[in-house]
Amino acid sequence: MQVDVDLEARTEVPRWMAYGTPVFTVLAALSVSAVALAALDVDPIAAYEIMFVQTLTTEFGLTETIAKGVPLIFTGLAVYLPLKAQLWNIGAEGQLFIGAVAGTWIGLNVSLPIFALLPLMFVGAGVAGALWVAIPAWLRAKWGINEIITTLLFTFVAADLKNYVVRGPMQAPGANFPQTAQLPAAGQLPVIPGIGFPSGIVIAVVFVALTYLLVNHTRLGYEITFIGANDRAAEQAGMSTYRIYLFVLMVGGAFAGFAGISEISGVQTRLRAFFAPGYGFTAIPIALLGRNGAFRVLLAALFFAVIFVGGSSLQTLLSVPAAIVDIIQALIILFLITAEFFKRYRVSLSLERDPGAEPRGKRPEGEI
Amino acid sequence: MSEDAFVRLADITKTFPGVVANDEISMSIRKGEIHGLLGENGAGKSTLMKILYGLYSSDGGDVWIDGERAAIESPQDAIDAGIGMVHQHFKLIPRLSVAKNVVLGMREPASAFRADGDDDGFVSSLTTNRLVQGLAARFTLGLDVPEARIQSLADDYGFDIDVTAPVWQLDVGERQRVEILKALYRDVDLLILDEPTAVLTPTEAERLFETLRKLSDQGLSIIIITHKLKEVKSITDRVTVLRDGSRIDTVETADVSRADLARMMVGRDVLFQIDKDEVTAGEPVLKALDLRTDDDRGIEALSGVDLTVHAGEIVGIAGVSGNGQIELAESLVGIRPVTDGTIRIDGGDLTGAPPRAFIEHGVSFVPEDRHKHGCAESLSVMHNAILKGYTDEAFGDGLRLDYDASADYAETLVENFDVRGVSDVAKMQAGELSGGNLQKLILAREMDRDPKLLVANQPTRGVDVGAIEYIREGLIEQRDQGTGILLLSENLDEIFDLSDRILVMYEGEFVYEVTPEAADRRRIGLEMNGGEAGGAEPQVAVDGGRSES
Repeated sequence: MQVDVDLEARTEVPRWMAYGTPVFTVLAALSVSAVALAALDVDPIAAYEIMFVQTLTTEFGLTETIAKGVPLIFTGLAVYLPLKAQLWNIGAEGQLFIGAVAGTWIGLNVSLPIFALLPLMFVGAGVAGALWVAIPAWLRAKWGINEIITTLLFTFVAADLKNYVVRGPMQAPGANFPQTAQLPAAGQLPVIPGIGFPSGIVIAVVFVALTYLLVNHTRLGYEITFIGANDRAAEQAGMSTYRIYLFVLMVGGAFAGFAGISEISGVQTRLRAFFAPGYGFTAIPIALLGRNGAFRVLLAALFFAVIFVGGSSLQTLLSVPAAIVDIIQALIILFLITAEFFKRYRVSLSLERDPGAEPRGKRPEGEI
Repeated sequence: MSEDAFVRLADITKTFPGVVANDEISMSIRKGEIHGLLGENGAGKSTLMKILYGLYSSDGGDVWIDGERAAIESPQDAIDAGIGMVHQHFKLIPRLSVAKNVVLGMREPASAFRADGDDDGFVSSLTTNRLVQGLAARFTLGLDVPEARIQSLADDYGFDIDVTAPVWQLDVGERQRVEILKALYRDVDLLILDEPTAVLTPTEAERLFETLRKLSDQGLSIIIITHKLKEVKSITDRVTVLRDGSRIDTVETADVSRADLARMMVGRDVLFQIDKDEVTAGEPVLKALDLRTDDDRGIEALSGVDLTVHAGEIVGIAGVSGNGQIELAESLVGIRPVTDGTIRIDGGDLTGAPPRAFIEHGVSFVPEDRHKHGCAESLSVMHNAILKGYTDEAFGDGLRLDYDASADYAETLVENFDVRGVSDVAKMQAGELSGGNLQKLILAREMDRDPKLLVANQPTRGVDVGAIEYIREGLIEQRDQGTGILLLSENLDEIFDLSDRILVMYEGEFVYEVTPEAADRRRIGLEMNGGEAGGAEPQVAVDGGRSES
């Protein structure tokens, strides 16, 4: 049997496709996952009801989604902004660790009232995240050294640094666990009075709006966009790629640092050695899905938060193994990203039987 | 040449948002003819051919091949139907050899897996096993047979080419021959060439034409997309003229004059000669002394050049490409660091200053490659229109960039400089504009700032007659307003028509200076080639007299 696959770039994307694809792909991913669920004697309909409907309709589900969404929005922005200038910040996870360490240190060692301490912790975390990415950023801006590799490698260093401080200088006095002491009440993000949502979401939305304004309504944003589209033409017009590369990566690092401290201060309340949420890596598909605008990054981050929260509900309520939940989440992400590909390319598949009468060794027509 | 149509296009229609690119165009191509497809940029030539080659789908109309309706939905269908296309921007993989590039997409399995039928031992039964065959077809590559075939094709048509050489080692003309070989290897009956001479030197173009004549003698039909009248007259048998998406006429080339063709193409009479008034040159706006710089490979490309351009004069730099023109232009606008010498713009020393400083001192630049250095193709016309002016107060105060004002400004540029095919400046991507219109947009952007010095490198390359006329008039007008213009062009006619002073550049130095009135074309042609008399090159370089291309 011969299988022919032809790929062709689409010259124009049909309108129904642009809007319908995300919906269809998520449904397709869910129907594939349904097989795995059914094999485990779990009713897929009930499972999806828990995963999506309950997550989005119960107070618990919504609060959890927002809590998960906050760091994902920040890390999403941390990848999105450099991507605008065609740079890949793969190391948001590392910048997140460093931000968490710096912010936690300030929270534990500075005594100030809440309205001063929390901003200080965020500023500290942001500065730390920005400085952490400054070396890869400078290497890229000055010498053109690939930022994908350097930012990623810096993540491993950051992880070890975090592991060291929670076992050494920052370990809670007298405790045996590799973790810091709990943040004082003044160092913990409160919930929004009345609705009970974590207040981190307000900060996150503000930064989404600021990023939107920066990219879409400032000269700096114009320079970032133009350099991302054609750096040589941009330099010819007097823009400095050096300055912009440093800027986008360091602001990205600051966003990742915000993600770290918002998670520690809003959810964990202390930094543990095992703190490795993976938000910095999840941010890459988030930024890819949201690359057309900061508000889309927000939506993509919240969507990922829903599938994460829904997935853990599935685990606890229906005793679905964690591996299956991971598979469902991975399938959704895979399908979404594949759909982007199919939106841009047309694939035609043709099957034909090998004619038996054909002399041996002669290849049938059409096969290439 | 037979009279009956071999390929026939009937009522082909294609619309893009806001533009009718092809409006019920019909044309037929006979066996063995060279058919010119002539039109201004944006007239719909490339669109029509992309439909024929299966890259675009038409909104209406049919393609008939040998009297049968052909459904061409992809380039593969087109190749199967015997149609090949050589694109303006070559589709080659530089790292691979000529042969590998040619067989790409239709490779043969390694020779060990090819059935030759003469032995039937165990090895043979293994290698002819269907599964092994299938795997071999997919994962092995035999180059011996294709290489021999490609070499013989090359020899047949007099291509002097080493099929085992990697493509990056070849020059542009040779690369184009590889593209033609790719089509011939696929046994095409109709070859479409999209502006094949745009990237060639005159000598290479002449060689290409010889090849094409040979091919058509052997029965191959050829369509040449072009906007150069000289080419149409010299190579084609018949010519179809398109204007604004409609077919104007198809005529026997021998029956029409260049002026006729120009009128059909542009829709009015075209001036081949530009009138310009005498202007007295003013203060020097550019003073470069003993300028030295390296090319991208680190080899010295400018070897101590002195150059002065005064306000209100056009200094033309003639020369064969690759003699330091690009490096000269780039160092004068600050994007290429100089290794020695000084650059003074309007009295201020800008040696070693960043590009921004040059812009602020009133230097404008039309780069030689408009796609690489002149614009961002994936961004909108508006984004590209404000590239030089986005820091101006007119586009918002402080940090803010006012996109509404930018869009208005872009619209003014588009209108004032007759950039065609733009429906919405904020939505239309610069890359969607045709070459001439993109060039007009870039020129508009650079001239609208009323620069002190304008460095224009090959401003009319790959641009159609109407746009050329417009661009040249624009340059003269800018000169009359007191801008000093440095014009670098490989087109001697352009240099002669526009310049007040001519400098000839050879191997990174100026070797000859003259005024157009006192100039002898032959002498200039010789100087362009290092002053050696008796070579074939100079003749070609000065060929043609006053012409439009």
